[in-house]
Amino acid sequence: MKRWVTAALLAMPGTAHAEVLLSRNEIQQTLSFGPWPPSFQADPSNRVSNNPRAIALGAALFSDPILSVDGAFACASCHDPEQAFTTSEPRAVGRVLLDRNTPTLKNLAGLRWYGWAGKSDSLWAASLHPIIEKREMAHSKESLKDAIVASPYINDFEAIFGDTQNQGADLVLVNIAKTLSSYLETLTTERSQFDDFRDALERGDMAAASNYPDAAQRGLQLFLGRGNCSLCHNGLRFSNNEFHDAGVPYFLSETEVDEGRFGGLNFLLSSAYTLDGDWSDDPAKQGAWAVRSIRRSHSDFGTFRTPSLRDVAETAPYMHDGSLNDLEAVVRHYNEIDVERLHADGEAILSELNLSEQEVSDLVAFLETLSSSP
Amino acid sequence: MLKILLPIAAIVLSNGAEADERPIFDAHIHYSHDAVKLVPPEQVAKILRDAGVRKALVSSSDDNGTQLLAAAAPDIVVPALRPYRRRGEINTWMHDDTVIDYLEENLAKNEYEAIGEFHAYGDDIKTSVIQRMIELAKERNLILHHHGDREAVDLIFETWPEARVLWAHSGFDDPANVVEALDAYPRLWADLAYRSDMVSRGVLDPDWKTAFEAHPDRFMVGTDTFAPERWYYVGPHADFSRGWLNLLPDQIADNIAFANAERLLASE
Repeated sequence: MKRWVTAALLAMPGTAHAEVLLSRNEIQQTLSFGPWPPSFQADPSNRVSNNPRAIALGAALFSDPILSVDGAFACASCHDPEQAFTTSEPRAVGRVLLDRNTPTLKNLAGLRWYGWAGKSDSLWAASLHPIIEKREMAHSKESLKDAIVASPYINDFEAIFGDTQNQGADLVLVNIAKTLSSYLETLTTERSQFDDFRDALERGDMAAASNYPDAAQRGLQLFLGRGNCSLCHNGLRFSNNEFHDAGVPYFLSETEVDEGRFGGLNFLLSSAYTLDGDWSDDPAKQGAWAVRSIRRSHSDFGTFRTPSLRDVAETAPYMHDGSLNDLEAVVRHYNEIDVERLHADGEAILSELNLSEQEVSDLVAFLETLSSSP
Repeated sequence: MLKILLPIAAIVLSNGAEADERPIFDAHIHYSHDAVKLVPPEQVAKILRDAGVRKALVSSSDDNGTQLLAAAAPDIVVPALRPYRRRGEINTWMHDDTVIDYLEENLAKNEYEAIGEFHAYGDDIKTSVIQRMIELAKERNLILHHHGDREAVDLIFETWPEARVLWAHSGFDDPANVVEALDAYPRLWADLAYRSDMVSRGVLDPDWKTAFEAHPDRFMVGTDTFAPERWYYVGPHADFSRGWLNLLPDQIADNIAFANAERLLASE
């Protein structure tokens, strides 16, 4: 049976046509995107993960310019909580124009890689790097420690981590990053219209499922089928969290390119702040297998991490460089993708989709339902 | 006195390290229409020189890129004629008779060492366009730079047994199969472009090591600049190549880095 017509509608001929358009196979695929939200699991590499005091301190530090060397800006300046923890600029502006679009900070707990290029394998490492990056917060380890010691946060910090006199500047930096991480772990997107649809399908409640708009259902069918979107945008977060060439140019200037995952791996493999390193609090080094197992590939160059699609309608502009202004532009990018940019033996799943205008609109309608219910 | 000697020693060591850097013959380079617009020929020449690439087999879609680059770096560029006017023709070109006109026009006005890189699988080789292309190569004794499968390699040699064929990406085949092909055809060479399975985290793959030892005179490296931005990977790729070649005996490493390609060009 291709379509699941609701019993309620069958009993009421003449009412507005509403039904579940998905095949059994499409319903099975749809179930794989939930349930949402997932259960929380503390990060074993961060001893203050899920610690209420650390979460509160992390939240306060996140919005305080004390984390930049000259008090010029806070984490929240670029990751604006009022704008889904991003901003509307195509490329982030730190002390200078940075290389990439600011990613949202929701749903980050438990990922394997962080950042567009995956230069971190933990949320605390991803929180640490911007603090000491010269083009961003620009602290040295020492200036950060001095700033914390002289700040109103010192009592909370020492209550969590002990006397700062017994902590080197390195350790203070890592501890600050771990408080930020414990806060960021709490940021999740709310349930969406899609989640209600998905859960109704799981319950077999076709009457409830049929409330999901037809356009969004048709868009979902494209997402699962002809669009091939779900090959990379899969799982609870609609992301495989791996790295791909999506056919987006990656020049930064006339003489410079964004190396993407290639640069991210160079950074990661020389970093002291990995799950395999001494700063992890996990004696079992869970998760360190990933950084230990990396194999370099020429295809790393110019590839970027698949972003999550939850709350995607709230996080424009899109792609690693923010070069696409809205969801329709993203769909049209894939619809008309320049396959000449892709290696003949590379991302073979990408090809021109030849979607009609109606289908473009349907796919956008589906993506919009991945945002939290209004 | 010691204070003076130390800096001099440091300079000598520094210069020595540069002089010792293994030169590279990059056997798989494209400078196609979109790259020409975004990376000027002078910039491309600088990228090649900075990377220590002393020769590069360059083919472009269309050929204008190769000619521009040959003018900017005549000491480096070894020109090859690609049967495409745009990269997007890789799946259709063998069914397009106008490709022959394009090849003949360019062969009449420019000098080339090879035809390719061209994409062809299996029976594609039997199409009239590819058969004529092979004929044109035979008339001028040009190398064929072929991207495709073993069946296509077999058919190329069936068409022209004396051909010199450079198998792009070593056919993306397993090292044992590549060795078998090289055993079968003494006039087959193999580039390693867009492959990184030769090495993992500083350890040479044992199957590839066996292949390099079995045929130390047939492999060569290449970057494959298939998109404009990939020009900025020529330097990192040369460094990558030097890194894994250092794991081989010097003679084999030199062969793969540059000598095999140079000998292929010098062969008849």
